[in-house]
Amino acid sequence: MIPLSHFMLVSAALFCIGLYAVLSKRNAIMVLIGIEFMLNAAILNFVAFSRHDKFAASGQVFALFAIVLAAAAVAVALAIILNVYKYYKTIDPTEIDQLGD
Amino acid sequence: MPLLSFCGILLFTGRPDRGGAFSIFNIAVSFVSSLILFFSIWNQDPLHQQVDWFTIGNTTFRVGILLNNLSVMMMLLVSLIATLVHIYSTRYMKGDSYLFRYWAYLGLFCFSMFGLVIADNLLLIYMFWELVGFSSYLLIGFWFTRESAVRANKKAFIMNRLGDLGFLTGIMILFTQFQTLDITELFAPNGLVAQTILSGDYWTFGTQQMPAIWLTLAGLAFFFGATAKSAQFPLHTWLPDAMEGPTSVSSLIHAATMVAAGVFLLGRIYPLFDETVLFVIASIGAFTAFMAATIALTQNDIKRILAYSTISQLGFMMLAMGVGGFNSGLFHLVTHAFFKCLLFLAAGAVIHEMHHLKDHKGLDFDHQDIRNMGGLKKYMPITFITMTLASLALIGIPFTSGYLSKDAILIQAFDWAEGKGGLVRLIPYSALLTSWLTAFYISRLIFKVFFGELRVPGYNTAAVSLHEAPAAMKNVLVILALFCLFPFFSLDPLNYDSAWLMEGMKSSPRAEHTASIFHTLIPIVVNVIALLVISLAYFWYVRREKAPDFSGNPLYRFSEGQWFFDKLYFRTFVGGTTSLARSSFLFDKRIVDGLVNLLGKVGLVLSVISHWVDRYIVDGLVNGAGLLAKAIGNFSRNFQSGRLQYYLVWMLLVVLTFFMIKYFSLAI
Repeated sequence: MIPLSHFMLVSAALFCIGLYAVLSKRNAIMVLIGIEFMLNAAILNFVAFSRHDKFAASGQVFALFAIVLAAAAVAVALAIILNVYKYYKTIDPTEIDQLGD
Repeated sequence: MPLLSFCGILLFTGRPDRGGAFSIFNIAVSFVSSLILFFSIWNQDPLHQQVDWFTIGNTTFRVGILLNNLSVMMMLLVSLIATLVHIYSTRYMKGDSYLFRYWAYLGLFCFSMFGLVIADNLLLIYMFWELVGFSSYLLIGFWFTRESAVRANKKAFIMNRLGDLGFLTGIMILFTQFQTLDITELFAPNGLVAQTILSGDYWTFGTQQMPAIWLTLAGLAFFFGATAKSAQFPLHTWLPDAMEGPTSVSSLIHAATMVAAGVFLLGRIYPLFDETVLFVIASIGAFTAFMAATIALTQNDIKRILAYSTISQLGFMMLAMGVGGFNSGLFHLVTHAFFKCLLFLAAGAVIHEMHHLKDHKGLDFDHQDIRNMGGLKKYMPITFITMTLASLALIGIPFTSGYLSKDAILIQAFDWAEGKGGLVRLIPYSALLTSWLTAFYISRLIFKVFFGELRVPGYNTAAVSLHEAPAAMKNVLVILALFCLFPFFSLDPLNYDSAWLMEGMKSSPRAEHTASIFHTLIPIVVNVIALLVISLAYFWYVRREKAPDFSGNPLYRFSEGQWFFDKLYFRTFVGGTTSLARSSFLFDKRIVDGLVNLLGKVGLVLSVISHWVDRYIVDGLVNGAGLLAKAIGNFSRNFQSGRLQYYLVWMLLVVLTFFMIKYFSLAI
């Protein structure tokens, strides 16, 4: 049986990788992927903690919800990125520093 | 009726006339109305009319006119002489470029003189007194382009101001005591002054009480005012210098009006004087008469001789006032007015002709110097005769007016001194001596001017073009000469007691009269010695026999230098004033300026300091605030870069920070 701490470590590593990608990538798609990493790290934690849930698999239910919401969020984010690209002709988040009028 | 004509006089003479004819008309109207007034007032009840003037506290000043014998006599005199001088001036001043100014000044002068004579209030008299001084200042300085004329009128003005100070002091003392300045109330026979009691050391009037010395002081103060106007020692030096004005003006000022104002004032306030003041007046009068006569002996300027003669005769009048001869003093004032006016006008005629001669021949000599004249009898017979008559009157030869008045003064002086001993006796004797000196200097003048040969240097006497003065001047001389004769004043040529003027003036409270041996003795002594003196002068100056040369004599120089009063005054007063001015200048420069400069420097230093404070502290604060805001702005601008990832980093950092704080604060 894999102890809980291993799950925690993997999830922390995933979160940090995601955070790194969000903060450093020059591509909005990569930033989006970083966000997905961080979400998945959280979902992993939900699933891992749900094993110790004595009553119901509420953690897994939460994880399912989160996956569905993440898919929706990714769809929305991709749509935003597409629009940003249409407007700025770039998807580098460092260059997008002005609010449109 | 009198009031009406008065208004006429005031209006007419007060207006600045432009033309000579107009002003002559005005003065003639004044003359005629004064004549009418004279006959209606003379020896009648005095006329006194008043209106309210102004009120201070509960004292109301009333002004008006007061006409008694004294003032109508003065009015008649002033208007007659002024009329004659006006007529004379039409010719004498002909061609002067400022003629209209001359007439205007003359009008002002006559107006102020009339005002002085008729005013019934001491304050009003004081105002007219000032006005007379001021208009004489204008007239003396009429030829204002001459340096000496300007200096002379300044001197006359300053001297008169000194006297005015005395007058004002007297007025103030009287007002303090009596609360009124009305002449009638004060000096009537039963007036306020007569009601005061002089007991012990106190001068009491009703409930008012003052130390007795104030009475004497008031008298002396008034007398001091009169000395300045009447050119008595020690304020006499302005009068000879006043000769810088036109000769007709000198005549008017000297003979008739201005100098007589002093004597007139004494006459108005006569009851005020106590024994001490009268004694001072008498001694100053005698001293002035003597001093001026000695100076007149050696002068060479024809007008200057006459000026000193005037001072001397005024001294006689003062002497008469001082010895209680109120009436004879005023009598002499009248007779003197006529013959001195005549002397001046005749001298003016002579100067006029000499001036013409000078201009005509292009010669350069002093046309007022009697050493350059001589032999004018041939060319100007009328002037000669009239001037000789006036001189005889001045000397006091019988059958002239001067005899009557001068002997009256001398006899009264002797009467007065008889009861007293010691030095007081010097006063009448010096007056006697003075009258002989008078005889000498005036005959010297006549002989030098009219006898012998013309002494103009570098001039050929054969081609003389001198002639008699113009008709207007000549007629005036003749009229005045008539007034030098006795019948106008007394039918009896040898006895002054029968003179009608003496009778009219008898109202004086102190005119005491005792028949004594002097009445017969003095006229004889005076005239015999005067005749001797005249013949001495004749031998010296006409025959040129044994004419001694005095020019090395210290007494001669003393006299020629006019007793050095001018120099003395210049040294003491002018020098004193100048050094005072200089020291105050230094004080100003060193101390006051120093203080001011110090203040300035302190201000400068202060401003430098405040500048520094402003620049570095206040500006520093302001700029510092600005800089701080800028720095904060710059700093916070970094947060607003608009870059998404930076925001995220900051969010992370903030969350981490909160987490750390939470964590460590729990751990502790």
